[in-house]
Parts: sequence; structure tokens; C-alpha cells
Amino acid sequence: MVPEDARYTAQHEWLRETADGTVVFGITDYAQDALGDIVYVDLPAVGVALTAHSPCGEVESTKSVSEIYAPIAGEVVRVNAVLSDAPQTVNSDPYGEGWMVEIRPSGPVDGLLEAAAYRALIGEG
Amino acid sequence: MTLRQTPLHSRHTDLGAKMADFGGWDMPIEYAGTVAEHTAVREDVGVFDVSHMGYTEVTGPGAIAWLNTVVANDLDRVGAGQAQYNLLCDESGGVIDDLIVYRIDDDHAFIIPNASNSDAVVAALNAAAAGSGISIADKREDYGILAVQGPRSDAVLAAVGLPCGHDYMSFAFAKWQDSPAMVCRTGYTGERGYEILAPAAVIPVLWDAVVAAGATPAGLGARDTLRTEMGYPLHGHELSVDITPVQAGLVWAVGWDKPAFSGRETLTSERAAGPRRRLRGIAAVERAIPRPDMPVLSADGSSVGIVTSGTFSPTLKQGIGLTLLDPSIAEGDEVVVDVRGRQARFTVTNPPFVPPHVR
Repeated sequence: MVPEDARYTAQHEWLRETADGTVVFGITDYAQDALGDIVYVDLPAVGVALTAHSPCGEVESTKSVSEIYAPIAGEVVRVNAVLSDAPQTVNSDPYGEGWMVEIRPSGPVDGLLEAAAYRALIGEG
Repeated sequence: MTLRQTPLHSRHTDLGAKMADFGGWDMPIEYAGTVAEHTAVREDVGVFDVSHMGYTEVTGPGAIAWLNTVVANDLDRVGAGQAQYNLLCDESGGVIDDLIVYRIDDDHAFIIPNASNSDAVVAALNAAAAGSGISIADKREDYGILAVQGPRSDAVLAAVGLPCGHDYMSFAFAKWQDSPAMVCRTGYTGERGYEILAPAAVIPVLWDAVVAAGATPAGLGARDTLRTEMGYPLHGHELSVDITPVQAGLVWAVGWDKPAFSGRETLTSERAAGPRRRLRGIAAVERAIPRPDMPVLSADGSSVGIVTSGTFSPTLKQGIGLTLLDPSIAEGDEVVVDVRGRQARFTVTNPPFVPPHVR
């Protein structure tokens, strides 16, 4: 499942631009499926400046842990508080209720994969 | 290297299981998801394919008496028709494998070793048996094993027409669709349950019947979270040729009064002197999951041990782990685990983390 209305990274994050110029990102369906049942999500604090392609949090499942990478540079304006009590939301709705971080980009929103390119990367379609 | 496959391999792939290498075998880690499978076993009933485990027959005049001079636990604590948790140690007291010994009669036992240790167990027993008239036979290719575990396991066995209701750690022979089967009240989950041993050819049909009777297919991911909640050791983590039963808190599984067993002298000395480290449980105070090989520190920051197993407990909804700690650390103490550079607080416990319901 790779929605057309998002863009992607090779590290299995998706992002969408919002109407007011921020960017929301999370991990892809492929990533949540590979992790299995997600039990903890550690997200950056609001106000932190993220560097593109650097770790900014962790997703931990019963069997493994994986870092969350910032898809682009920017400042954290909001994180999904639901995930601290209901981390399994990332499994059930990775592109919707399971979103992770909203940032205000500090530069152009580029260097990303379109849906078709990400599908090719994960061997779908 | 080509991974070995159990008789149920195509059942697993047909169910969409995530498969992974486990001790050289291509095994199902999970089907629907580890937490759902874990919960099915705790609250209902699940079925595991454990056909990767070994199956070794020990036969000959006085086979039990001979085996009792080799394995650590005292086989005379159980009678014919009973199974016993046991340990095969080397002369330095390290554990070659932990295993279940099924006492059939005085001249016949069979042993279920761990998958990746089966060859080592067979080799060690063969070496010990030289000149004794006892024969050791590796029959793992001929058989498969299903573990049906959970509070509703009796209903599943009854529905498929297998014997059930016998005492914990005892076993019964049966015929199932004209094949011999052995049904034992054993398991590795902490729940009431059965392990069924049957010829490889009948295992897929038996699996289908057990699943049709309502058992949820469960993978090795759930098997690991279930056994970790019980504090059951897993060889390669809490036991190894470098970790003795005294260190692992398994003094109850050693027949100390026996005149002979492999590793007796070293283990007796270690028990008298006190082990240099002890297996302890740890439970997270805050949100953190310990993982194998993470360092454990005391409250003042000095190194006191290492994590051997760790996971998120689906029952308790917190991080739990098993650790080998300095003997000065006691139950109730607080320790710190270095979780990828973050200092996470844990309370030292005496497992199980969750009450067992095996009986």
C-alpha cells in the first residue's frame, strides 16, 4: 500500500505537505509490516531542529527496534501524542492516524521519491 | 546454506507467515502478529510448529540408569510415563543443552533437545555411551511436533480425538489416523497445554485438524514473548557452554545426591562457593525494552551484568528482561540498562513475570 498523494524516502518514511506549509511524516506500510507489532514510538520534542536523513526517533516492536529518520530538514512543530498510549496505530493506519511528526521545513521539500519510485524500491508493482 | 524445512513449511507460507532462519531452519516468526498470537495462547489456545526440535532415542538394557549417570537431573524423581526437564552438561559444568527426557520404561527413553543443539547432544551421548551397550539414535527427520498451548487446549485435543487431561509432565501414547502419536502435558508458554509428537507424514493433517478445532497458529515470536514472561531459559541466551545451571538458577534441575553425572565436580564446587553471577529478571520502571547484550549498571553506574533476553511483555505491557547479574544485586534492587545510550531504570525481580497456569 503506497498512496499516490504522499512522497517517500529510501528509509521508508512518507511525507505530505499541508496547506499551511508544514510537512507531516510517518513510516510506510512496508516499514510497519516489516517491524511487526509496534509497542513503543519515541518521537522528538517540539521545537527541535531536525537534520535531513538523520535519526530523530525510534520505533520498537516486540522483536526489533528501528530508527526514524527525518525525511527533510526542519523544526518540529507537533508530534502525534496518540502514539505514546496507542503505538499500534502505526500498524493499523500508518499513513493516517499513525502519522508521527509535523515539521516546518527549513529548506526546499525535495530529494524524495514519488509513489511509483517507492513502489519499485520495495518491489511492489 | 539451504535452510531446513519442517513438514509444515507450506502450511506456514500459505498462511502468509513471516519466515526466518532459526537454528538453520526456515521457521514462522509470526502469522497475524506476535501480540495477537501471544494473547491467544494466554486466553484461548494456540498451536506452534516445533518440528525443528530434535528427537533422540536412548535404548538398551538399563538405559535409564545409564542416562542418569550422564544428565544432571535425577531421572529417578520421575516414573515410567513421565517427562522431566533436564540438563546435559560438559565436564566444566557448562550446559550443552537443556532438554526434556521422556521415561518410557527402564530400558527406553527419548529426549527432545533444542533444534540447534541436537547434533551436539547426540554426539555427547554417543561419546558417553561407548562400550555401555546403550544405543543412541537421532530420529528427528522421522517425526514432527506440535505444541497446543492455552487454557482451551484440552477442548482442541478432545475435538481432534487425542487423549487429554493427564497430569502435568506426564505423557500418553495414542493412535491418530492409524499413526502412532505421543501426547505430553508439557510446553514452553506457562499455560496449560500439550506437545504432540507424530510421524512427519501425519503432522500436516494433524495441524489442519488442530487449527480447524480452533487453535490459533502462533509463531516463534510469540513463543519467545511467552517464555520470557515465564522466565524460562533459552539455550544460547540464559544457558550455554559458558553458563552453568548454578548461575542460571537451575539448582532444582540437578540431582545433587547422584553419585555421577557430567559436570558434577565443577558444579558441586561452584554451588558451595556461590556463583559469580546469577540469572535475574528485570522489569522496566519507565518505557524501555531491554535487548540481549545490553550492559546492566548499578545505581552508582558500575557494571553489574548483561541482558541475556528482553522483550516487550504483551501481558504486562512493559519491557521485561532476563539478565546475568553480580550476586550482590538482589530482588527489589534498582538497576540501569544502557538502552542504545539512554539510561533506563529497571527493578530486579524473581521470575516469572506473569503467574504460570501450567496445571
